[in-house]
Amino acid sequence: MRPSTGNTEKSNLLMIGLILALVVFLALPAFISEGWISLVNEMLILALAACGLNLMLGYAGMVSFGPAGFYAVGAYATALILINTKLPFALAFAAGPLIAGLSAIIIGWFCVRLTQVYFALLTLAFAQIIHTIIFEWYGFTKGDNGIVDIPIPQILKSITHYYYFSFIIIVLSLILLWLIIKSPFGKTLQAMRENAQRAESIGINVRLYQLSTFVLSGFFLGIAGSLFCGFNKNVFPNYAHWGKSTEMLVVCLLGGIYNFFGPIVGSIVYLFLDKVITAHTQYWPLVLGLIIIILLLFLRGGIAGFIAERLTFRQRRGESAE
Amino acid sequence: MFRVEKLVKTFGGLMAVTQVSFTLEKGEISSIIGPNGAGKTTLFNLLTGHLKPDSGTVHFKDRDITALSPHRICRSGIGRSFQKTNIFPRLTAFDNVQVALMAWQKKTRNVIQRADRFFQKETQDILDSLGLGDKKEKTAGLLAHGDQRLLEIGITLGTFPELILLDEPTAGMSPEESYKTMELIQQIVRSRNLTLLFIEHDMNIVFGISEKVRVMHFGAIIAEGTPEAIRANDQVQKIYLAEEL
Amino acid sequence: MNLQGIVIQVLSGISTGMVIFLIAVGLSLVFGTLRILNLAHGALYMLGAYLCYWISALITQNAGGFWWALLLAPIGVALFGGLVEIVLLRRIYDREHLDQYLLTFALVLIIGDLCKLAWGVEYHLVPAPWPFQGPIFVLGMPFPSYNIFLIACGPLVFIGLWALIRYTRLGKIIRAMTYNREMANALGTNVPRVYTVVFMLGCWLAGLGGTLVVPTASAMPGMDMIVLIECFIIIVIGGLGSLSGAFLGSLIFGLVNAFGILVAPRLAVAFVFILMIVVLIIRPWGLMGEPE
Repeated sequence: MRPSTGNTEKSNLLMIGLILALVVFLALPAFISEGWISLVNEMLILALAACGLNLMLGYAGMVSFGPAGFYAVGAYATALILINTKLPFALAFAAGPLIAGLSAIIIGWFCVRLTQVYFALLTLAFAQIIHTIIFEWYGFTKGDNGIVDIPIPQILKSITHYYYFSFIIIVLSLILLWLIIKSPFGKTLQAMRENAQRAESIGINVRLYQLSTFVLSGFFLGIAGSLFCGFNKNVFPNYAHWGKSTEMLVVCLLGGIYNFFGPIVGSIVYLFLDKVITAHTQYWPLVLGLIIIILLLFLRGGIAGFIAERLTFRQRRGESAE
Repeated sequence: MFRVEKLVKTFGGLMAVTQVSFTLEKGEISSIIGPNGAGKTTLFNLLTGHLKPDSGTVHFKDRDITALSPHRICRSGIGRSFQKTNIFPRLTAFDNVQVALMAWQKKTRNVIQRADRFFQKETQDILDSLGLGDKKEKTAGLLAHGDQRLLEIGITLGTFPELILLDEPTAGMSPEESYKTMELIQQIVRSRNLTLLFIEHDMNIVFGISEKVRVMHFGAIIAEGTPEAIRANDQVQKIYLAEEL
Repeated sequence: MNLQGIVIQVLSGISTGMVIFLIAVGLSLVFGTLRILNLAHGALYMLGAYLCYWISALITQNAGGFWWALLLAPIGVALFGGLVEIVLLRRIYDREHLDQYLLTFALVLIIGDLCKLAWGVEYHLVPAPWPFQGPIFVLGMPFPSYNIFLIACGPLVFIGLWALIRYTRLGKIIRAMTYNREMANALGTNVPRVYTVVFMLGCWLAGLGGTLVVPTASAMPGMDMIVLIECFIIIVIGGLGSLSGAFLGSLIFGLVNAFGILVAPRLAVAFVFILMIVVLIIRPWGLMGEPE
């Protein structure tokens, strides 16, 4: 069973593109100022968070309004360990996704018993509760002052060094996500998204798979949260705010939810636009709103979807010309 | 092999299925016919766990499967297709069938290996037997209606059921397509030694391949027998004639 | 906590509940009929509030302008909503939920910034209108008479909507669509027109709520999302698509909130969320809703 020539061409193109991107990202710090390195770092962290969310959103078809909750849990877990204990950074960092994943098991168990609107609203409610707990538990989390001046290892204190650290973690995480998506499990999620009832009747325990997806998603969101904690060296309650959740959803839409690279493209474009546009006007939300509407009406697959379509179209034209 | 006893289901005041009982022997090809609203699909929903019966039991190979959830019923060896085309629209035809195979072989928990490696041959076989072999890379939602109905059956076959319940497999097809499809189904069922129970609206299609026919009306089975006997049955004639009016 | 204090709290909770009922019922109505969770509903409420401030300030300097605002602002919001429905919403009715959420969210962003553009970021207060300018005395303790007016508005609107749904043709169509969409289509109703009308009604209600709230709470940025999340809680508790559910849910919300603030002010905001979670887990279709 050999894949058609079209597919090999596509995967070759993909490989080349990926290697190029890797090279670009690795070489970047040599060419740009620290301010820009910082921005790219932020883009990559958001990209990971969005990809984690997209596992649920684009692949399993579960619309969550509360991904920021797990992002914040990851960030605060790492922050609290670093501030309150002498445990090594590696442990504190690993604790983020683990605790986020654990909370996702509990929260997810309740959420996946519902579907559609009710599921979305319940995820929102839980995220708001996380936000309230962080905000009000002043003694533990320092409330709306946030936790500042978080100690991270000397070697990671430089912007460039943290950039490379983030980059490695993010690439590894994305590879893991890629494997998950291409695996039978990933295919099953897509089948669930397409037709949950049918999936159930071919022997798939949909609720169990939805819970697994929820937990995996929470885990990757936790990694992003922990990364951002070290990046920013501060954590604040608004990491769990619905504003952050909507940012992740918008990023996924912008890039395209049915494409693995969609959320990555989306994050880069979103933060870039944010930076550029807020420099010229205070009405960035207005512009963003208009962009979203234009995307929804005219560019339905998001940016990555659009590019992928163009490539397939050109390839098909090439094939018929042979 | 398959025993249904006194199945009852009411919705509000409406008795959708009333005291339905029948048995299926292994390898039997039989059908349920009846006018719209007779309760045929509701009956199927009761058998496959999509609805819980108010009373009555269902036994498959001497195991009580009444009110098990759909995925457990599938695991016990019963497959089902739906009246409204129920496929995975954005996946390719190949993926549609492959995912059923993977589900059956419990490979769906695998998060590390590439899905492409699994069940290439078996998936191709099923697609070929339905005449969809050359369409495997096509997006399922874009296939012609008749092909989608066939794919629907392909998904059902992917879970290697011993008993297949097909709900109006030829729904929406032209008469020629319907005959071809039923012949295909008959071929597949015979070659794999399966038991088949299907719902059909058109009596002519049924009489071609069904060994036994059951007629449902207002939620109850009012007649059961060979196609010839049913054709000659006065009551059945009345029901269908009344419907034509 | 003496009796007077409790009574005042109860009244306070009820008046909060009644205002939010107006907004929540609009959201619920739109969801029940159009099957869209309009995330911009709070923004429309905010628009109503700003329009109220604007009209009040424009028409007359004294508090009499408020009554003109009460008449005109909700209509303004309804017209705006109608425009949005025709130009934008119509295109996404058969899209996936995520697309609908994102489109309505885009509207939140746009409406929010348009309000900021037009009226700035300061808080805008409108004085309570005559004749509700002073307090009345309940068991010896003062309570704003305007809030009594608000308490009266709730049941008034409830009765109005109930009569609409029960006795008018539109109401019958709404009921049909809430319970069985395909049937409603088959019965030959002009579905697009119904959608527009119902959406405008929802917007009118949101605008009404926004107008009524300004004398007590001022028009300000951010009020849209706060109220939206409160509405979510209410329609979950009461049942999506249910009129009496929205009323009951609002009442519960108002009271739980009022007593929460009394008992544990810092966690009060969590009480209602916990209630929402409990309802979603035990009875997802809400107290007055029907399981689908």
